[in-house]
Amino acid sequence: MTSEVRLPRLGQGMEAGRIVRWLKAEGERVEKGEPLFEVDTDKATQEVEAEASGVLLRIAVHEGEVPVGETIGLIGEEGEAVAAATVSAPAGAGAGAAVAAPAGAPGGPVAARAGGGRRASGTGGRVKASPLARRLARERGVELAALRGTGPEGRIVAEDVERAPAPAPAAAPPAPADVPAEAEVVPLTKVRATIARRLTAAWTTPVFQLTASADMTRATALLARARELDPDVRVTVTDLLVRVCATALRRHRDVNVRFTDEALLRFSTADIGLAVAAPDGLVVPVIRAAERLSLAETARARAALVDRARAGRLAQRDLEGGTFTISNLGMYGVEQFTAVLNPPQAAILAVGATDARPVVRDGEVVVRPTMTVTLTVDHRAVDGAEAAQFLRTVKTFLEEPALAL
Amino acid sequence: MPELTYRAAVRQALVEAMRRDEDVFLMGEDIAEMGGSMGVTQGLFEEFGAERVRNTPISETAIVGAGIGAAMQGMRPVVEIMYEDFLSLAMEQIVNQAAKHRYMSGGQVKVPLTIRTQGGAGWSPGAQHAQQVEAWFVGVPGLKVVFPSHPSDARGLLWSSIYDDNPVLFFEHRLLYPVREEAPEELEPVPLGQARVVREGEDVTVIATGPLVHRSLAAAAEAEKDGISVEVVDPRTLQPLDVDTLVRSVQKTNRAVVAHEAVTRMGFGAEVVAVLQEQAFDWLDAPVERVGARFAPLAFAPPMERYLVPQPEDVLAAIRRTVARVD
Amino acid sequence: MAKVEKRRGVSEERLRDFLREMLLIRRFEEKVEERFRAGDLPGFLHVAIGQEAAEVGACEAMEDGDVFASTHRAHGHTLARGTHPNLVMAELYGKLEGCSHGYGGSMHLYDVERGNLGANAVVGGGLPAMVGAGLAFKLRDEPRVAVAFFGDGATNTGAFHESLNLAQLWKTKTLFFCENNEWAESTPGWQHSPVWNDMSKRALAYGMPAVKVDGQDVEEVYEKTKEALERVRRGDGPVFLDVETYRMEGHYIGDAQVYRSKEDRAEAAAQDPLVRLRERLGVSAEEWEALDAEVRGIVEAAVEFAKGGTDPQPEDALKNVYA
Repeated sequence: MTSEVRLPRLGQGMEAGRIVRWLKAEGERVEKGEPLFEVDTDKATQEVEAEASGVLLRIAVHEGEVPVGETIGLIGEEGEAVAAATVSAPAGAGAGAAVAAPAGAPGGPVAARAGGGRRASGTGGRVKASPLARRLARERGVELAALRGTGPEGRIVAEDVERAPAPAPAAAPPAPADVPAEAEVVPLTKVRATIARRLTAAWTTPVFQLTASADMTRATALLARARELDPDVRVTVTDLLVRVCATALRRHRDVNVRFTDEALLRFSTADIGLAVAAPDGLVVPVIRAAERLSLAETARARAALVDRARAGRLAQRDLEGGTFTISNLGMYGVEQFTAVLNPPQAAILAVGATDARPVVRDGEVVVRPTMTVTLTVDHRAVDGAEAAQFLRTVKTFLEEPALAL
Repeated sequence: MPELTYRAAVRQALVEAMRRDEDVFLMGEDIAEMGGSMGVTQGLFEEFGAERVRNTPISETAIVGAGIGAAMQGMRPVVEIMYEDFLSLAMEQIVNQAAKHRYMSGGQVKVPLTIRTQGGAGWSPGAQHAQQVEAWFVGVPGLKVVFPSHPSDARGLLWSSIYDDNPVLFFEHRLLYPVREEAPEELEPVPLGQARVVREGEDVTVIATGPLVHRSLAAAAEAEKDGISVEVVDPRTLQPLDVDTLVRSVQKTNRAVVAHEAVTRMGFGAEVVAVLQEQAFDWLDAPVERVGARFAPLAFAPPMERYLVPQPEDVLAAIRRTVARVD
Repeated sequence: MAKVEKRRGVSEERLRDFLREMLLIRRFEEKVEERFRAGDLPGFLHVAIGQEAAEVGACEAMEDGDVFASTHRAHGHTLARGTHPNLVMAELYGKLEGCSHGYGGSMHLYDVERGNLGANAVVGGGLPAMVGAGLAFKLRDEPRVAVAFFGDGATNTGAFHESLNLAQLWKTKTLFFCENNEWAESTPGWQHSPVWNDMSKRALAYGMPAVKVDGQDVEEVYEKTKEALERVRRGDGPVFLDVETYRMEGHYIGDAQVYRSKEDRAEAAAQDPLVRLRERLGVSAEEWEALDAEVRGIVEAAVEFAKGGTDPQPEDALKNVYA
């Protein structure tokens, strides 16, 4: 009868060992209790004794690392048929390996996601309000952003909410200015009319804006280098922005969405629109599945679209879809601006110029190329925290482009 | 109603338990003829004798360990550790043995041991005689921790601690021994795990322990003059903690201050704040304030000691911060 | 009531019982080693191989009502005082049927009915409680003794000194049983104690009577322990037994004993108490085989029992924290 030689568990916590050498050869006789092989554990090299007497019929593992319980040899009587040593099942259940069920769901309610989401409890980024005030505001439908806080540091407290009037209706649009007699009348082009109609609709969407500035030192260097290496493909900041936003949208899927009355639509690809000034007006051609394109490919796609846009030869399908838009007015020297949502998209990024600005690093004032971006977000679809995290990722990627490419 | 001092209250609980029950006996340093370094056990040696009021050598490990052994045999020993600073000398027996016997045995044994101790600043005792260490024990599963602030509570809770079948750390406080309270002559047991609303109020809840209960009451009286209505709640038992009472109070007032004499950082108050933010988050109109000793060992010179230890004005300042308004 | 006479020598029949007990412990411990290496047993384990005579002699000398606290090396005491091997094995396997219901493991074996008040993982940790138990017996005037088992390593702890001091001072009904195997894990006696050569000095420092015992001779252990127990039981104060014994294996299963010379190990093996008793009784090869087979059968059955035991529910972890 054969008996398997297995790597024993020589100590608590031992999971594997390295067989260093065998002290008996195949075919040699061995007595129970005799040292049979040497094993290296973290603590020491040890001799392991044979657990049975007989002939060492087979050495399955001569040397090397094996897990505890693995069959490494066979002892039996001469002449016994030796099937290829089967790897025995790993050592028994009890060995403290019972995996504890992971602790129960983290304490506290999991925030409800999608489909209706949370009631708006603040516009314009982070509003300082006490938890009680927030709850009261939620319950009464009061907009926190409209309140002035009288708590310390301007925090909105319960009393401020209790004193607030019922939610005010949306401010009436300003009355049209009088028209001076000598104005030239330029009839509306179809494009302009469409823009007007869509953006008016966008204007009534409850939005909020988040602004961040990024240190563009590395980005600028990266773009310069890229242009050096491949002068034919002139990568621009816009291309980098497309790459960065595409990667960020994949990471923050909750921003790559569209609000409808029935549900939130969440998209799996980042189809990024670029606001381009075309002869007839603003158009927004779309780079599809931007997350799959390299920086160079992005540049080529962008160049092609912009060329067609400027030539007035964009096809309908160039303009369809789009889950996110980037509008860059930096080339005009604009430091910072707020873009209007491009409906039905939930977010748009307004990009300013990259300027040398004084900033504080490690307590010192230094000069860095800095770019300010402003994200406008449809608050029905995306919450402040999600948008802020997205923007933070965008900023991080702009400051460390290696992370996004 | 007659007045009862905290010291007499503790003594009364010991005497009545010992009279009722042969199995209750005391061990500690200098508790016999001297009547204890704080005078708490005065008279007990005369009434009960050396067998049941046992002076021990300076051997905190053996004092607590012997208490454990006798308790496991069904007796109800009450051992005294002279200063709570010296609990550190008995930590092994308290934390590794007393707290765990029941659990490790799968429920076969119990350790109905009571460990009485005291501490506290305010009289320049120096850094090794004045710590407040209750926080060390609140987080040890298997132990119960009691810290009464009023005489009637000390009496009723010590009784309940003696008759609890678990190891109980009973913290007294040096400055509280002379505190008086009107209380009935009969001992009324106070259950463990039950907080007490010492003062009712509407605007802010102050959760305090030990001497800070009294300092908070003083602060509350001052705050009243400014129209701030302060509720003071004494948890009395730190483990198990009466979370419901604390939460209900904060739900009523929407603001909380937590105060104890021990160092603020990692103190018992931190646990209370965590519990409040978990269970009363949507009722909080201001951040929860903490009042405790500043982060240093206790200095000897009186001006320094006073600076480190939380005073009524610290509680008052915290109260004011929670209700503060601009304009 | 019959007067208890001091008997010289233990009857052969009784000695054979001792042999069986010691062999059971030996085979149990060997099986535990085997099962550990196969990966069956969680945690870590310390076996008492080599110390069976000391443990059986002591435990057999104890009487019903006596209590004891053991060390991290607790299987021997637990079995010798009568806890069924099934229940001990089940505890090592972490099952509800275990003597501590899965809550304790190898170093926290309890069996209150048999006076087993817990093995202790903290060296010296169980001594103070045995002073307390001895105090309770004295205060209640009960003819019971609390036995504290510990090793030479424990004699350096503060708890040891405080315990001996207090026990002697108050004349508690406590017996201090030192299983002196001259090793504190990997530290030999000469490296950890200035009086390692004569551990009884530790007791004499507290005015406590001390007795030296050859721990490999189960009969001597039995007799001297019995004598000491009677003295303590009477209320004449505690006694310290310096029991010389040998740890034939490492400190824990898997300990390669790189710190121990081959000579030292060989010397320990040469002091095998089972061999000594077997020779002393003149047990024949056939008798030995039969005994061994019987004992192995019990141990195998214990493993089967344990393997078939019930795992505790995860939520059971929250029970028994408080009484």
